[in-house]
Amino acid sequence: MRRLLVTLAAGALLVTASACGSSGDSGASGSGPSSGGTTTVKLGLIPIVDVAPIYLGQKKGFYDKHGLKLEISTASGGAAIVPGVASGQFQFGFSNVTSLLLAQTNGVPIKAVSNGIASTGVAGKDFAGIAVKKDSAITSAKDLEGKKVAINTLKNINESAVRESVRKDGGDPDKVKFVELAFDQMPAALDGGQVDAACAVEPALATIKGQGGRVIASPMVDVAANTTVAMYFTSTRYQQQNADVVKRFQEATAESLAYADAHPDEARRIITTYTKIPASVLAQVTLPKWPAEPNKESIEALAKLGEEDGFFKKTPDVDALLP
Amino acid sequence: MRLQNAALGAAGLAVFLALGEAVPRLGLVKEEYFPPTSRIVRALADELSDGAFWTALGDTLTGWALGLAIAASAGIVVGVLVAVVPYLREATASTIEFLRPIPSVALIPLAVLLYGSELRSVLLLVVYASFWQVLIQTLYGVQDVDPVADETARSYGLGTWARIRHVLWPTALPYVFTGVRLAAAVALILAITGELVIGAPGLGARIAVAQNSQAVPEMYALIVVTGLLGLLINVGARTVERRALAWHQSVRGEVAV
Repeated sequence: MRRLLVTLAAGALLVTASACGSSGDSGASGSGPSSGGTTTVKLGLIPIVDVAPIYLGQKKGFYDKHGLKLEISTASGGAAIVPGVASGQFQFGFSNVTSLLLAQTNGVPIKAVSNGIASTGVAGKDFAGIAVKKDSAITSAKDLEGKKVAINTLKNINESAVRESVRKDGGDPDKVKFVELAFDQMPAALDGGQVDAACAVEPALATIKGQGGRVIASPMVDVAANTTVAMYFTSTRYQQQNADVVKRFQEATAESLAYADAHPDEARRIITTYTKIPASVLAQVTLPKWPAEPNKESIEALAKLGEEDGFFKKTPDVDALLP
Repeated sequence: MRLQNAALGAAGLAVFLALGEAVPRLGLVKEEYFPPTSRIVRALADELSDGAFWTALGDTLTGWALGLAIAASAGIVVGVLVAVVPYLREATASTIEFLRPIPSVALIPLAVLLYGSELRSVLLLVVYASFWQVLIQTLYGVQDVDPVADETARSYGLGTWARIRHVLWPTALPYVFTGVRLAAAVALILAITGELVIGAPGLGARIAVAQNSQAVPEMYALIVVTGLLGLLINVGARTVERRALAWHQSVRGEVAV
């Protein structure tokens, strides 16, 4: 068997080597500047509305200006990004705040470097919302008691937020039945009556609204006035060894976020280059806010909520996570 | 007979496509989630005119072909080796039986840790899944070697290499081809699954983007492409198999005496 494994490993290695050569991959982990003073960094993203500033900033040359060349790897879900960054496959990644706190409490050495997205802070006009079918009897978060609510990932940021919405409305979040369902399946599930409500984000939320669905609560607004929902992060090791690259990434990303926030039409246009959101849906999509700085109070609120609801093994250290 | 079969096949497909058009149009299922055939065809035409689609197709085929090549060569070499070296078969059987049932998709977290969302992650899954198909078939094939033929070769003084070449290999070849044909289908499934779940570039990743974007007809169009790809691969593998084994009784169709 050892021989078998060795053969397998040798075969795999061979391919790896040849694959590297053919794809022109430098093979370097991106640490240390290469020739011309430009550093290539790999960034793990999910191809969704949220990351538009990165694509826009890349197009506008903000990263070039800071001597960075972004190599974007897209992952289908956040699940691949945190381990990818921790193991050094990506130098930077994008993930929601609760996932980052979860990783930290699990001993994964990561460090947030830049803000990602924030809620619009306007109830009923946020990029995330708890939606029900148009003829549903549910009118507020409290009514969700005893009802089936679809959520993209159990024991993560959206569950925290929905529970907070129910709590703030005077209900008991423990009485809500959470069902795990991908965002893109929520419109159909809601329409078909498999779930009574869904905590959806754009563009699924726009699709639900297009079917006549109603938003009964804005969970991210209930967490804090302006909730930081997701951030860009790196591994603590990379941060220590390449403080300069991290600083340049922070500066370029801050510029990109500010630019995208100030130019929503351009942001909307760039989204069509890396997603397939139909134009009719995209026009209805509520964009998130892209402030350059994370809102620490909201992150502390999410940490506290996650702890209250028993998501974390130990108390997360927000100060250690934040840049 | 052949013409009649083809006609029946075409008629069946036409009925299927017509049903796909009629069912959503009649409102039996929601058009938003199950678009009629014509809309899928239109989305497919749009895809075909998009350069990024062809890049994705190339990425998927690269992952499939490379993975299959590695798995097939490793499977054949290991299979023959295990069969030829005394005791190796008994020594490896339990390990093989333990490793073989591990679903390749269960290795996704490992692939991500090792290689991130790149071609190499997909290769890991593809190679792991298709390797066993080839290995097991090769082992069966070697087991099928006629002991009398082998003994005859020995008594004629043929060395190990000559016996592998002239006795073992011709016997095992039909089995090996079956293994490779199965592996070709499995490799495609794993390549697309890997791209879909991990996000490595390819058709799978494109399906995931369409899905996340609520672009339903585009998603179905891409799924149709993967189906056609599977069909082509199977037809191709069968053709190669028939040609390469033209001398073998299983293909010649003669009754063994």
